[in-house]
Amino acid sequence: MKPAAFEYHRPDSVAEATTLLADLGHDAELLAGNQSLGIIMANRLATPDHLVDLNRVEELSGYEIRDDEIDVGAMTTHRDLEFADDLRDVMPMLPEAAEQIAGPSVRNRGTLGGSIAEADPAGNYPAALVALDADLRVESTDDERTVAAREFFIAYMFTDLGPEEIITGVTVDREPFPVERTGMAFEELKRAAQTFPTVSAGTAVRVDDPDADEPVIEEARIALANVADVPLHVPDAEDAVEGTTLGEDALDEAAEAAIEAADPSPEMHADEEWKVELAGEYTRRSLRTAHTRAIND
Amino acid sequence: MIEFSGDFESEHAPEELWKYFTDPDILAQCAPGCDHIEQESESELSATIAVGVGSVKPTFDVDMTVVEADEPNHLVMEAGGDASRNSFEAVAEMTLTETEDGGTHAEWEADANVSGLIASLGQRALGSVADRLVNNFFDDLEELADEGVPAESKISAKPEATASLED
Repeated sequence: MKPAAFEYHRPDSVAEATTLLADLGHDAELLAGNQSLGIIMANRLATPDHLVDLNRVEELSGYEIRDDEIDVGAMTTHRDLEFADDLRDVMPMLPEAAEQIAGPSVRNRGTLGGSIAEADPAGNYPAALVALDADLRVESTDDERTVAAREFFIAYMFTDLGPEEIITGVTVDREPFPVERTGMAFEELKRAAQTFPTVSAGTAVRVDDPDADEPVIEEARIALANVADVPLHVPDAEDAVEGTTLGEDALDEAAEAAIEAADPSPEMHADEEWKVELAGEYTRRSLRTAHTRAIND
Repeated sequence: MIEFSGDFESEHAPEELWKYFTDPDILAQCAPGCDHIEQESESELSATIAVGVGSVKPTFDVDMTVVEADEPNHLVMEAGGDASRNSFEAVAEMTLTETEDGGTHAEWEADANVSGLIASLGQRALGSVADRLVNNFFDDLEELADEGVPAESKISAKPEATASLED
């Protein structure tokens, strides 16, 4: 099918885009990478009267690595993040989450902001950003605010974003993640290449001394995708491994915490019980990977 | 049939909250996605409400009838709405009880028949969003009550009305 008729707007700046949204309100939909909305509109599941395409807003693309934080613009593509070697050196979870999204054609056009705004519970960035405790920057004509990723995703494909607001970017504090003592992992299970993962886990681990015989975890961050209606932060799993050398007992306890917290919707290829089990298993795996990387990298 | 339910606590007494729940102007301010509410009669309201999940955001023309209004404890409403390729019928019931410290404990439940695109999202997705919307509604209402925004009970039950929802 083809989409229902709509009016197309292509602003060049954030100011122009927010002004359009303020004028159009509920009748407008933002277009970021056009990797999901186009399909939804072609099937006439969504029939917005106006489409505001952000693809020409250059100020929203690209990233910056500062001493204290990283800052990624909302229109940065998955492909740009995947190949961002300098970013991979300091905040590897983001490029690792990016490189596993769908296939190259989707990654070429899909954007960070689009994925966040869509808020699919299986999406990679939402889980990664919740794990990293990122802040999202949001703008409208008369306001600019920051909202924690952990508070932004509030229900199934439902976010804190107002109809007149645009996500402009993301910042992640580097302070908890010193490169030489931190390991990160984004691990996902896919039933087939280029699909949404059944379950995934974004994990970061900081150890006290990577050269010690038995490095102790000072801080752990874990969030899971697609095992609840929002990206699932699992503080109990973090508590279970912090202060330990990640022995089997700690891993068991962390996995158990993830299993407790998981509340997944069943899917055609994965029933509820299996997804709950996977939440535990991927917590375990991603913790191991992150811990190994913290010690060896 | 989709079933929703939940509860919330308020610091305000049932008598006071009742005014907020039965004042169309207050409802218009708190209802999610609500463009406007018109009072058609003592017990009937009509509204335009845009709610959705993700980019599926139909705008519903909604008609509401107050079926029971046992001030300040029990409120039953029936609602139906139509939007392009979507429709719903619902019966919602709310019970307010006074707590020991003079506040209110409210329990609500709603049964809905949903058809069209929204129905294809399934109970889990709809339930997740509905919970959030209802909680926002109660939070906003509590905030107006906290601020002492004046509210006046303007609706009453329709005589001999009953609510039912067929499967």
